[in-house]
Amino acid sequence: MTDSFSKNANQGAGLSRRKLLAGGAALTAGGLTGFPFINRMALRAQDAPLQFWQFYAPGGQVAPQVEWFEKAIADWNDGHEQKIELVYVPNSEYINGTKLATSFASGTGPDIFIISPGDFLRYYNGGVLHDLTPFIDEAARADFPESVIANRMVDGKIYGIPMEVEPMAMYYSIKAFEEAGLNENDVPKTWEELLEVAQKLTTPERYGVLFETTPGYYQNFTWYPFLWQGGGEFQTVDGKSAFDSPATVQALKFWQDAINSGAAPRQVLGNGANDATANLGSGYCAMQNVGIWAISQLTNNAPDVPFGVFRLPTPPNGKYVTVGGGWAFVANAKGKNPDAAAEFCAWALASMEQDSIDRVVTWCTKAKSDMPPRNSALQAGGDAFNQGIMGVFSKEIHPGTRAEPRVPPEVYKIISDAIQQTQLGGADPQATATAASQQLDAFLASYSGAPIL
Amino acid sequence: MTDQVAEMGYAAERRGLSTKHREWLAGYLFVLPDALGLFVFLGVPMVLSLVIGFFEVDGFGSYRFVGLANYARMMKDPLFWSSAKVTALYAIMLVPLLYVFGLGLALLVQKTNRFNAVMRSMFFAPHIVSLVVVALVWQLMAVDKIGVLSRALSALGLTGVSLLGNPSFALVAVVAVSLWFLMGYYMLIFLGGLQDIPAQYYEAAEIDGAGPLQRFWHITLPLLKPTSFFVLMVSMVAAVAGAQAFDIIYVMTKGGPANATSVLILYIYQQAFGFGAFGYAAAMASILVITLMLLTAVLFLLTRGGRFEHE
Repeated sequence: MTDSFSKNANQGAGLSRRKLLAGGAALTAGGLTGFPFINRMALRAQDAPLQFWQFYAPGGQVAPQVEWFEKAIADWNDGHEQKIELVYVPNSEYINGTKLATSFASGTGPDIFIISPGDFLRYYNGGVLHDLTPFIDEAARADFPESVIANRMVDGKIYGIPMEVEPMAMYYSIKAFEEAGLNENDVPKTWEELLEVAQKLTTPERYGVLFETTPGYYQNFTWYPFLWQGGGEFQTVDGKSAFDSPATVQALKFWQDAINSGAAPRQVLGNGANDATANLGSGYCAMQNVGIWAISQLTNNAPDVPFGVFRLPTPPNGKYVTVGGGWAFVANAKGKNPDAAAEFCAWALASMEQDSIDRVVTWCTKAKSDMPPRNSALQAGGDAFNQGIMGVFSKEIHPGTRAEPRVPPEVYKIISDAIQQTQLGGADPQATATAASQQLDAFLASYSGAPIL
Repeated sequence: MTDQVAEMGYAAERRGLSTKHREWLAGYLFVLPDALGLFVFLGVPMVLSLVIGFFEVDGFGSYRFVGLANYARMMKDPLFWSSAKVTALYAIMLVPLLYVFGLGLALLVQKTNRFNAVMRSMFFAPHIVSLVVVALVWQLMAVDKIGVLSRALSALGLTGVSLLGNPSFALVAVVAVSLWFLMGYYMLIFLGGLQDIPAQYYEAAEIDGAGPLQRFWHITLPLLKPTSFFVLMVSMVAAVAGAQAFDIIYVMTKGGPANATSVLILYIYQQAFGFGAFGYAAAMASILVITLMLLTAVLFLLTRGGRFEHE
């Protein structure tokens, strides 16, 4: 073997060591330089379809959701020259993961994507949100209530079109209530009553009530109503911190008391406290603080668990208010064809054409269980929004909805740390609120992006 | 064969290269692909990271030179310091435990027989499981009230203990899972070290009347010095910046509760990918790498690079 190899190498015939190395080096160089360039060129070709990134993947929790996306894209592609294709990104890799962030950092962000209010400022301040206003009729613009569209607007221009409104509420297991000798008349109306009922529902195998415990945007989102109910805000109208207030202290203490009483868990199951199937549905808790989407979760994935909903209880002298989240379609201002992407967003969700209205109704009633972001969709949906649990939402819960705040990541983190330190760390709510307020003031003084709402 | 060698020598002379130089060239060419890989995928990103640390980068293509501003921000950032403290605690707990358990397991399964072969495989098995799966399984076992571990603690009279939801226990729980995942790997390294110790030393010591403990203290431990250096160095790097330090914590606690498990590498990730502060994250990463290099240098000096006294 050695001989033949040496012979070949020196005679220059066949595959010599030198040729092998040279070929390898050429291939490596080609791989490192040429192929990505070629791929990128292909992707950037003008006739390439626009990419629409979202996380409702085939095989996901609820089948009608992906079908809705597929139908919307198929309908658009049937009638438009500029084609669009769906790209599924797992939720954990999406907003809170690396994929979306690195794609924008490398200049290859998706043409169309969906974001929640919590992420709006980051992307708006980054200059990647395209102005959708020119593509939306005045009649369609007026169809979106101010409370729904305001946190997707800057200087009167629309940068995101909401596809849903997702108010938060309390869900309860009817079976757990019955086991504890309770019924729907015992549904708590105040914070104090909530903790009392939660104690009664707590067993060695089950928690009485569940609030989110994992740090993140979602935990902040679920905590805001408790802050607002006592009249609290995190910033004043002139842009200073309002976090050091009795309302903040009261809200922080309420979640802390729930944990300290032993009626609320320090951990949540499944995908988090937004997952009603894994928590209420599994019997881990008897009451759960979760949004309207839990109707479809429980109906589809835990059909044997009868449940009811009630609006968030209020503190002494407090006023009922809940928070409404929801995702929105946005177009990448630095994408391949921003105008076509914007046109698609408007066509899909913000046109006065019946198809567009029906699309919103289908999403909110069949794919998910949400309140519609448009007045026309609320009317077109008719009974679907007025019967059963959805009826409770539209009549009792949704009227007190306030839009999810849009905050920069730095503000989110300060509030998140305050919640975590008091809820799970046992810190003094007053001292925590004061310290967080000082941090907020320091940040707000140097902030120069779009208004925080 | 003689003809071929002569022919090779002639060909080399013809090209102006001596046999020694050709050997030298061939050696470097063989190393070249690996060196290229390291340069492209480690060297270049490290240099870029160092450079980006001097810029404000918003994650959308905007770069603004800010000099040492990111480093100044770091000095005043309480979360940077609390994450550094958590990282130090994690490493202080994990590294000695890995050493003790790695060596202990290696000693237990040192002798070659079928039973030990099975045990070695079992101890190493966790290391081949995906870190995400490891974290999810342990997370489920540690769930409040209904998890296997919580039930076991309740049976012992420790009701209401939340292993991952209480800041007092969460870091310890994460260290325990990291230890479970990594100890089989270090067992394997120690096994290699133990097999390098000549059996005659033990036989001579036994004849001289040395007991098992004396043999361990005076033969095994001193002769494991190079292995110990390697284990301490690698486990320290793993504790500060290893995949398990990020993956297990990201899946099990997301840095909570109340930042009790927010190690520096997780905080860097949050700043970069969660908040889009790539410049600040790069500056922190640079400090982390420099700190690791300094710690390694100190360890190297203290142990003379794992060399024996006579070397």
